[in-house]
Amino acid sequence: MTGEAPSPDAPAPGWALASGRDVLATAVVVVGIVAAMQVMSFFTPAYIMPPPRAILSATVGILGEDLRHVGVTLLRWLAGVVVALVAGSAVGVLMASVRGLAPYLRAALFIDTGVPALSWMLLAILWFKSTEERIFFILIVLLLPFYALNVYDGIRALPREWVEMVDVFRPSRGQVLRLLVLPHVVPYVIMTTKSVVGYAIRMTIFAELVASAIGVGARMANAQSTLQVDVVMAWTFLLVVLNFLVQGVVSLAERRLLGWRAEAVIR
Amino acid sequence: MSEIVLDRVSKAFAGRSAVENLSLTIARGEIVALVGRTGAGKSTALSLMMGAFPPDHGHVRVAGLDPHAEFGQLAGRLAVSFQTDRLLPWRRALDNVSLGLQILGVERGERERRARLWLDRVKMTGAERKYPHELSGGMRQRVSFARALAVEPAIVLLDESFGQLDEVTSRELRRDFAELVRGLGTTSVLVTHRLEEALEMADRVVVLGAPARVLAEIRTDATERADPVRLGALRRAVAEILERGDHPAT
Repeated sequence: MTGEAPSPDAPAPGWALASGRDVLATAVVVVGIVAAMQVMSFFTPAYIMPPPRAILSATVGILGEDLRHVGVTLLRWLAGVVVALVAGSAVGVLMASVRGLAPYLRAALFIDTGVPALSWMLLAILWFKSTEERIFFILIVLLLPFYALNVYDGIRALPREWVEMVDVFRPSRGQVLRLLVLPHVVPYVIMTTKSVVGYAIRMTIFAELVASAIGVGARMANAQSTLQVDVVMAWTFLLVVLNFLVQGVVSLAERRLLGWRAEAVIR
Repeated sequence: MSEIVLDRVSKAFAGRSAVENLSLTIARGEIVALVGRTGAGKSTALSLMMGAFPPDHGHVRVAGLDPHAEFGQLAGRLAVSFQTDRLLPWRRALDNVSLGLQILGVERGERERRARLWLDRVKMTGAERKYPHELSGGMRQRVSFARALAVEPAIVLLDESFGQLDEVTSRELRRDFAELVRGLGTTSVLVTHRLEEALEMADRVVVLGAPARVLAEIRTDATERADPVRLGALRRAVAEILERGDHPAT
C-alpha cells in the first residue's frame, strides 16, 4: 500500500452495541414506570390499576400457556412486512424505471396512505372470509406505500456520477439494477423497515382484535371483555418487549448490511 | 494506426457552442493531453469520445466504431477515469476494481485475481477489504485507476483525474499512471487544465480554444519530459498560446 494516510475519521465498528448509558437510561425509566404503577395501585381498585406483582404473575401465565399466540402474531407480522417490502420495492423501481407510470402510481399510493387504517380493517372484514387474508391485506395496504415511495425517492437520489461511471462499462439494464440501483436503495429499505416495524406490530394486533380469534390481539380482546386488566397489561408489557426485540433485530440487520457506511459525527 | 478520430465535430448545448469544427486524430498507444481554459469544451470533447451523446455535426470514431451509435460494442475496450473517484461506497476496494470485469461477465475467480493484480500495480496491496470511506483521497483515486485499467482497455480517457489531489500525491499518481499505460501501450486521452500535468505525461499536448478547436499541438519526447528547464519553456509557450487564444494550429 502507498504511504498516503487513510481517512482519520474512520468510524467505530458498525456492529458496536448500544452504549451502557442507553441501557442505564432505559432501566431507570422502567423502574420509574413500575414504581408509579405500584403507587397508583394503592389508590385505585385492581380492575383499574393492578399492582406490578399481579401483572408479573399474569405475564408468567401468558408465557406458560399463550405463547403460541405470540408466534401466530409474529408470523402474520413477518409475512406482511416481507411481502410489503418486496412488492413495495418493486413498485418503487417500476415508478423510477417507467417515467410515464410514476405520477399515476404516486397518486394511487398517496390516496392509499390517506385512507384510515380502520377503514381498511372494516373493508377487509367485508371483502375477505379468511382471517389470514384479512390481516395480510390490511398489512399490505398499510405498509406497501411506505416502501414504494421511499425506494422511488432513493432511486431518484442516485448520484448521476455513479450512473455515468457504470455506463462506461456498457452494462445491461439488469446489471445496472443489480449492481447499482438495488445496493443503493438498501439503506432506504432498512430505514423504512425501522420506521414501520413497530407500526406493523400495532396494526397486526389491531387487526387481530377486530378480525381474528387467535393471536395477541384476540387474546387482549378476550382479557378486556372479562375485565382482566392485569392480563391486558401483561400483554402490553410483552408487546413492548417484543417491539424492543424486533427493533434490535432490524438494527443488527442494519449494522450487517450497512457496515460500509461512514458515520458522520456532528459536534 | 488511428485509434480515435474526431472529424470536423461540432456540439452545442442550448444554442451555445461547446465544440466547433474540431478535428483530431490520436494514434494507437499515444498519450494525448487536451488543455484549455475553463469552458473550452475539453470535457465535451471527451464525452463525445465516450459516446455519452452524439455530435451535432461531423463524425467520431473510437477503435473504428461510433461510440454513441455502437455504444455496446465498445464494452471492455474503453475505460474512463473521472475527476472524482466515483467508487461505490458499499463495495470494498477489491469489489470496486472488479466492477467492470463483473459487467463484462468475467467469472468470479478470474475477476478477483485480476482485481488483486491491478490493486498491486497501483500500489494498493493490503487495501483489498477496505471500504472507500476508509481510504484517503489519493488511495481512492488509485483504486479508481485500477478499476478503469482492470478491464485492460485499449483506450483510457481521463477527465481531470488528478485535479482534486494535492500536488505531491498528484505528481506521484501521474508518474505511476503514465508508467503503467506506456508499459501496456494503452491509448490515453487526458483532459486537464494543469499545464505541468499535460507536459509531464503526454506525448502530445493539444491546446484548445473556446469553443473547442485546436489552437496548437506540441509534441514532447521522454528526454524533454524529464528536463525541467525544457518543460518550463514549453509551459510558458502554452500559457502564451492560451492567453492569446487565436493562435493558428502548428
